[in-house]
Amino acid sequence: MLEKMIFGRYIPGDSIVHRIDARAKLVFVFLFIAIVFLANNWITYGLLIAFTLTIVAVSGIRFYFIVSGLKPVLFLLVFTFLLHTFFTKEGTVLLDLGFTEIYTGGVIQGIFIAIRFFVLVVMTTILTLTTTPISITDALELLLNPLKKIKLPVHELALMMSISLRFIPTLMDETDKIMKAQMARGSDMTTGPFKERMKAVVPLLIPLFVSAFKRAEDLATAMEVRGYKGGEGRTRYRQLDWNLRDTVAILLLVVFAVGLFLLRS
Amino acid sequence: MKMKTLTVNAIIAALYVAVSLAIPALAFGNLQFRIAEMFNHLIVFNKRYFFGIVAGVFITNLFSPLGIYDLTFGVAHSVISLGVVLLIIPRLKSETHKMIVTAVVFTLTTFIIAYELVLVYALPFYLTWLTVGAGELIVMLIGIPIIKALGKRLNLATLLN
Repeated sequence: MLEKMIFGRYIPGDSIVHRIDARAKLVFVFLFIAIVFLANNWITYGLLIAFTLTIVAVSGIRFYFIVSGLKPVLFLLVFTFLLHTFFTKEGTVLLDLGFTEIYTGGVIQGIFIAIRFFVLVVMTTILTLTTTPISITDALELLLNPLKKIKLPVHELALMMSISLRFIPTLMDETDKIMKAQMARGSDMTTGPFKERMKAVVPLLIPLFVSAFKRAEDLATAMEVRGYKGGEGRTRYRQLDWNLRDTVAILLLVVFAVGLFLLRS
Repeated sequence: MKMKTLTVNAIIAALYVAVSLAIPALAFGNLQFRIAEMFNHLIVFNKRYFFGIVAGVFITNLFSPLGIYDLTFGVAHSVISLGVVLLIIPRLKSETHKMIVTAVVFTLTTFIIAYELVLVYALPFYLTWLTVGAGELIVMLIGIPIIKALGKRLNLATLLN
């Protein structure tokens, strides 16, 4: 089961990227996603690659992990590249295939989209590789705090998220166990006609829901008898603190964005 | 927020993630769809399932290769669709009708996901909308009898109280 959790795979480390405040990292990635769209020529796309690879190098994460993050989307990447190569009719004819022609503009467009996609995936992969899901949740709670003014239950939502994260491995094990238990009773979820396979989902979901709801009930009772109250006056077990390096990281990104803006055509 | 509402929603979110990640063995053919999307039907039983469903989508997308893109658009898709569903279903009586409405709304609003894919991959919009929407519609329709079967065994409407 555990090998399936390869997404959301946090890799512990002590690099500067690991140590940057989770809030700074979130803001950084959000800004980066917008900045990527500034690039529109060879120099700017080249800079994007260089910038991303620098961050990969600084994060100290082996390139293998980054590539494994790209694998599930490789098909889409190739598909998009081909789509642009074949359907953008700009520039001069590069290759005449008889039924269609490939233009230089199309190939360039394809390469640009592929680069944009590559840097986006790598950047967000780095975020999840260097930040635990729980600190992402904490960071979001703090970043969304102003929304409390419009009555959004930010603290409760964050707590809900933390509880959820804690129970995901438990429930995955449970799913696995129930699947195997039903298979031992002759249930077949992998072969046979479509309708039969769908029917096999019911005896999986029902025990899963029943046991999951029981856990939720126990947890609610446990929290109630201990008089849990969130929000005001509650201290935190995990502290986030914003340092100079976090401000510097954001500033570097802003400088980079200005650079891209000046160099774009 | 009541403690029970909070924990049940947290568990629903965890179930959403666990089912999304644990049942790729049930990928039916080439269409890759999320079985867990059928949990959207829970909204028919009680509007307070809203938070659990949205949190489930959020956490699952936290693990997605497109990261924050999926996070923003995926969550927007769920929030908007659930909002629209909540506006329509109080007018309907039959549970099945409510679920069909949910399926249709979630399918139509996949234009949000299609738009995301257009932004990232510059894919043709209508084609993307069609493929993403089809995947969603199939899961949601299959989900109707399954979630109804679930509703027969569990009292989904009052579990949150």
